[in-house]
Amino acid sequence: MKLVEALDIIKGVEKRSAEAFTCFLATGLNPLHLTTFLAAELGLLFTDRKIEIQHGLYGDLLGNVRRLAKADAESGVVVIEWADLDARLGIRSSARWNPAVCADILATVQTHASQIQRTIEETSQRMPLIVCFPTLPLPPISFVPGWQASSLEIGLDAIMQSVRSQVSQCDQVRVLSSQRLDMVSPLRERFDVESELVTGFPYRLAHASALGSLLAQLTRKPVPKKGLITDLDDTLWRGILGEVGIEGISWDLEHRSQMHGFYQRLLGALAAEGVLLGIASKNERSLVESAFGRKDLALSPTIFFPLEASWGPKSEAVARILKVWNVGPDSVVFIDDSALELAEVRASYPDVECIQFPTKNNVAIYDLALRLRDLFGKSAILEEDSIRAQSIRRSHADANAYEATKVMPTTFLEGVEAEVNFNFNKTPLDPRALDLVNKTNQFNLNAKRYTEASWQNYFHNPASFLLVASYTDKYGPLGKIAVVAGRQSGRKLSIDTWVMSCRAFSRRIEYRCLEELFVKFGIDEIELDYVRTDRNSPLREFLGEVLGEAPSSGCAISRQLLETRSKIVREPQEMTNG
Amino acid sequence: MDEMEKRLVACFSAVLPELAPEEISQATAASVQNWDSVATVTLLAVVEEEFGISIDHEDPARFDSFKGILTYLQQAVR
Repeated sequence: MKLVEALDIIKGVEKRSAEAFTCFLATGLNPLHLTTFLAAELGLLFTDRKIEIQHGLYGDLLGNVRRLAKADAESGVVVIEWADLDARLGIRSSARWNPAVCADILATVQTHASQIQRTIEETSQRMPLIVCFPTLPLPPISFVPGWQASSLEIGLDAIMQSVRSQVSQCDQVRVLSSQRLDMVSPLRERFDVESELVTGFPYRLAHASALGSLLAQLTRKPVPKKGLITDLDDTLWRGILGEVGIEGISWDLEHRSQMHGFYQRLLGALAAEGVLLGIASKNERSLVESAFGRKDLALSPTIFFPLEASWGPKSEAVARILKVWNVGPDSVVFIDDSALELAEVRASYPDVECIQFPTKNNVAIYDLALRLRDLFGKSAILEEDSIRAQSIRRSHADANAYEATKVMPTTFLEGVEAEVNFNFNKTPLDPRALDLVNKTNQFNLNAKRYTEASWQNYFHNPASFLLVASYTDKYGPLGKIAVVAGRQSGRKLSIDTWVMSCRAFSRRIEYRCLEELFVKFGIDEIELDYVRTDRNSPLREFLGEVLGEAPSSGCAISRQLLETRSKIVREPQEMTNG
Repeated sequence: MDEMEKRLVACFSAVLPELAPEEISQATAASVQNWDSVATVTLLAVVEEEFGISIDHEDPARFDSFKGILTYLQQAVR
């Protein structure tokens, strides 16, 4: 992004009438254009918010990190450069250099780094923090030639690695990837000597822009895609299965098709992280199943569900996969080597991210892997991630069993030994709860989204409550699948947020949540901050069923009304914590 | 107004958006309320980016008016 573009974006952001997203930028340098780029990038990410960047004082990194700890901000960004840790590592200092001074510099940096680490650890208890470790090259203090790593350089790196490792363990700290920064901003092109001398801003504009972009991305928790649908021929493997046969397809060095194996390894990793994987291939199903019998595959073919192998349009295969997964098209990536197939799917599902697999272009396949990592990247792997694919297979089997036996849904549910667990603990806040709130679209009261800080602030109100529901039955656990957040006022509850994973539909868990709230809080009425959205029809239908009419903003459910409507609940075993 | 002047006006407009287009060619640091040292630094950075040049920051008085910057540019870009 050019500086003039950033200024233009900020001009537009300032006209927004919404509440400001406040970010405290703690750094010892003059933040100047970094502020501009960061504000512009945040403005692009938080499209419904104004952006406010707060600062501390020039040349006082530690003091600024302490100011950040007390700031009224939703997020904090800490940018550390070498000169902040010891002024002798910058060019504005007049302190003398000699070989003997290196040990003293190391000791000073160690002391300051430890202080900053402690403050970061403390501050992260109350707000999410983004931390960027030194990005600029060291000045030529050491006596060794530039191509040799000096003991000073190695010692400084060791100190930073230690601090980086420690702070990255904190729940709410995210550390900027120096590897990614190296890719987008070469080291040689970062330092602006003139600007540092004249203004105290040491970055060239391109570097400030790259840094601003990455810092802004880190400020918002990623919303990863949920599923990937892949083609097989010339994508998962090299060759056309129907033409060359099972032994003719390849993914190895010998056949110069190793990058297909690389792609397979990435898909295997994504599956293990909870990404849903499906196949849409124009092939004979029996042939595909035989090919999946090959022992040298770099993944287990069981990770793919559903497997759609047929000769029909790919958009129809994608439709069937989306139905089984029960996810929206905008949560899915479709990969195929054929531009025609991609266009056909895109025409039916413009929200599906369609990416061409660059067969025979190894460099581009590597870049595709990087792109997929970004699309599916998440800050942590939760228990729910590991059981998601299994539970979808089970749900599919349940539906088939139901179709086969044709028993009534309630009767069917009685037989599955459902167990709902309600947890009301507010401290520590369950990270899965915010994840669900920010990802769920269909069973969602109002599509209200939260930043980590605004979510935490919400629960500072003593009248607030948080309900996290988990579900398991004889087929296995679904994990944490519903979240309700609200406030109690006398004998009334006001619910501000209510979401439920689509995997938990048709199990009457929504009724169980309401019942639990009436029992737990001894209330007479629950008021709902309902807002109709384009996608929350499942929630709307449920409320319509309970209320006996279409829901409206501020609609309320009385205890008596719920008792009348929820007679179908068949006493699932239940435990309450908190 | 030649091409260079038009591009410089766009730079001013980005950094000092409160200035009406017709005011820009007469703008000076003394006459524009928001034209402070940060605005000067930002303005020069935008000009460097726009014209692909590196500005010598010695003698900052040269850069305290639209006309001063335009004169500098006419010499530097040739």
